[in-house]
Amino acid sequence: MAPDLTVVTTAVAVPFVAAVLAPLLYRVLGERTGYAGAAVAAASFGLLATQVGSHGTVRSPWIPALEVGLQFTIDGWGLLFALLASGIGVLVFVYSARYMHGESGLARYYAALLAFMGSILGVALASDLVFIFVFWELTSLSSFVLIGHYTEDAESRYSARMAMVVTVGGGLCLLAGLLVLAVAARGALGGVTFDLAAMLANDEAMRASLRESGLFVPALALVVTAAAAKSAQVPLHFWLPNAMVAPTPVSAFLHSATMVKVGVYFLGRVRPLMMSPEWVLLVATLGLLTMTVGALLAVAATDTKELLAYSTASHLGLMVAGFGFDVVYGGEAGTFHLLNHALFKAPLFLVAGIVAHEAGTRNLDNLGGLWRELPITAAITGVAALSMAGIPPFNGFYSKELLFEATYEVAHEAGGLAWLYPGVATVASVFTVVYSVKFLAMFVGERRAPIADIHRPPLALVGPPAALATAAAVVSVAPQLAVDAIVQGAVEATATGKAHLEVGLPTHFSPPVGMSAVAIVGGLATYPFTERLAAGIGRGVDAPIPVRPSGWYDCAVSTATTTSARFGPLVHNGLLRTYVFWVAAAGSVLALAGFAATAGVPELDVVGVPLAVTVVLVVAVLAGLAVVTASSHVAGVLTLAILGFMIAIFFILASAPDLALTQLVVETLVLLLFLLVLQRLPSFYADVRPLVLARDAVLSILVGAMAFASVLLTTPGPDADPSSVAEYYTAQAVPGGGGSNVVNVVLVDFRAFDTLGELLVVTVAAIAILVLVTMRIRGEEAVTEGEEEPVSDGGDLP
Amino acid sequence: MSVALAVAVGGLFAVGTFLLLRRDLVRVVFGLAVVSQATFVYLIAMGGVAEGARELVPVLDTHGGGVPEIADPVVQALVLTAIVISFGTTALALVLSYRAYEENETIDVTEWVR
Repeated sequence: MAPDLTVVTTAVAVPFVAAVLAPLLYRVLGERTGYAGAAVAAASFGLLATQVGSHGTVRSPWIPALEVGLQFTIDGWGLLFALLASGIGVLVFVYSARYMHGESGLARYYAALLAFMGSILGVALASDLVFIFVFWELTSLSSFVLIGHYTEDAESRYSARMAMVVTVGGGLCLLAGLLVLAVAARGALGGVTFDLAAMLANDEAMRASLRESGLFVPALALVVTAAAAKSAQVPLHFWLPNAMVAPTPVSAFLHSATMVKVGVYFLGRVRPLMMSPEWVLLVATLGLLTMTVGALLAVAATDTKELLAYSTASHLGLMVAGFGFDVVYGGEAGTFHLLNHALFKAPLFLVAGIVAHEAGTRNLDNLGGLWRELPITAAITGVAALSMAGIPPFNGFYSKELLFEATYEVAHEAGGLAWLYPGVATVASVFTVVYSVKFLAMFVGERRAPIADIHRPPLALVGPPAALATAAAVVSVAPQLAVDAIVQGAVEATATGKAHLEVGLPTHFSPPVGMSAVAIVGGLATYPFTERLAAGIGRGVDAPIPVRPSGWYDCAVSTATTTSARFGPLVHNGLLRTYVFWVAAAGSVLALAGFAATAGVPELDVVGVPLAVTVVLVVAVLAGLAVVTASSHVAGVLTLAILGFMIAIFFILASAPDLALTQLVVETLVLLLFLLVLQRLPSFYADVRPLVLARDAVLSILVGAMAFASVLLTTPGPDADPSSVAEYYTAQAVPGGGGSNVVNVVLVDFRAFDTLGELLVVTVAAIAILVLVTMRIRGEEAVTEGEEEPVSDGGDLP
Repeated sequence: MSVALAVAVGGLFAVGTFLLLRRDLVRVVFGLAVVSQATFVYLIAMGGVAEGARELVPVLDTHGGGVPEIADPVVQALVLTAIVISFGTTALALVLSYRAYEENETIDVTEWVR
């Protein structure tokens, strides 16, 4: 079944339209806007659900000359991600409606949340590189607004900016990587194209083309860096725990199903295209490193949301590592865990929100025995946390087991150092069990600190996590059901060869099963020592050696701030000549460098224009020099007029009588204007400092050289054909515009709006002149009449 | 590819830039005018400059008939617009200078920074 362009486009566009309307909706609905948002998410979800089972690419051209088009590719992988984002979106909106009760800035909150969801859907479904990049950056922008929701809070602003800098910086890497891919497509597909679906279909040719040009490793590094920044991989993980300053529903949405999965999603998407030994080394190592570091930091965390944030980084590492391995199990682990992680992490964040809401603290050291007051929440947490720990038969176990199988298979084949892969994966899983139990512990046992009355959470808060936990339970009981419904399609889309996913509880002992057993038993055995472990990790993090990437970030940002604070006054010192100097020098140097790098030596024609034209131009330049050396303003104006009239004669010689006529009128008017104004101005100031004159002369010659070079290199030769635009206007002047004077027809007919704009400019200038001349006089009169009374004339009074 | 045209445009731009860097505000306005004139020549050069002739003038003889070879009408339309806009700019700059003189009692731009 082929996908339907209208349905897919509508599903992606509806959240954006709703985002634009959100302020209006908020005026009408107030805090119930959250339910409207849920309806929008449900609409997108429903539309996309109709496309399940379809497979293919739909396209609507946008910039045909560059082969850029609105192109969506529907397959299991994109749909899995999009359905998760919109499905969890429904629950997050419902939860928000209640959780954000009484908060300010809700119109902005819902607008950003809707736009964010739309961008995620766009990333998931678009297969045109330009659109992927645009949606990718839109997720960064809207998440910036969401993370910085509490604009009064300095920490919130700091975290939002950090997330923005890291993810947008990654986005720039993505842009570079995508351009490299587009250029490589020239060799592989014939012509520059941004069509990712075509690249994936011809992956061998693409790889060969990239290798041939030596761009394979750069492209790989750029794409992986972009994904690592977005998906919080070490050492770019530090923005994720900071992002938890956002309102809890945002954290649940960002951390479970959307923002951070974008990088993982894209790695899965390009996996078939980029699979190579370099990919395995880079991506698998990155993933396992993040899995371990994230788990360690989560063990040391004392804040519920901080623990979950580090745990998210760790689980993202698991998915990235899965996609890193060149075995069938790897891709299966990555895709299946994308689903499982969303199903257990989203409810855990929502539970953290409920606990913070009802118990008034997020400090794990003070929380314990909450099951008495929050039994349903405790049950939800039980399912989700055990799934997070990877304990059978909960759903997290299946995908983690797939990763173990992948690491074991790779190690078994490669031997040697590759045995580190299963070793590291097991150690990371031990810590995963520890922090999962630590999170669960706030519900069991005895009260650790006196907490005043705990309320029962309302249904709108418990419902969404309960729905997600139920889904997790369903996947736990019948994993094959979920696989058949959608995961199998995702596995096929991200696999390098054929893959058929079958999951279930292990029926006999194998090394991966042993790894799981070690992880669980080890984790439970380590749990009693959590506090000492956390203290040790804390010492490691606080060590004086610069191991904290966030330290590098702070250093880079503060250096940039101080440098620009110093650089600013240097170029913006209030002197006109400084501004002219920097703009003209920078423009000329850049243009000349561009010419030097790209253009060859042109065919030179010493004169190339009729003798009369040459004579007129020589007089014009001489007049220009006379303006410079003029001994008074009046002499300058008169020589300037000579220059203007010479240009008018040049127009006549260049077969442009209309221009000559206009130029003569305008030059006469300008001459009169100058003379009128000059009689009221003092005589002129000469520059006498030779050093300044020499510096200005050098810059002038530089600008002149730039103009000289660009005329030589860009003007057409005498025998060149007229441009297609010129031909069109000439041919259409009579039939299309009904006039025989082509220039006039262009101005008043073909480009009439431009001419209207031009008239507007002249009118505005005239009004401005009138105001400038008359306001001063009026202001003075008013002051002389009423002495004391200050007259407001735009702050111009001395 | 005419060197003569390129030298003229380059020379006018150099003169204009030099004037823009003066501390006498009136000369800065002169510089603005010169740079505009240089731009006109540049734009015309983009359309190619041939020996002036009646047939090249972009006014068609009759309504109907074939399309003759004429001077590029697009650059001429652009320059026509540019002439008018630069007139507006120069006039506004002049009056601004006058007004600035009234406020600051000097037309030396280096003295405006206090």
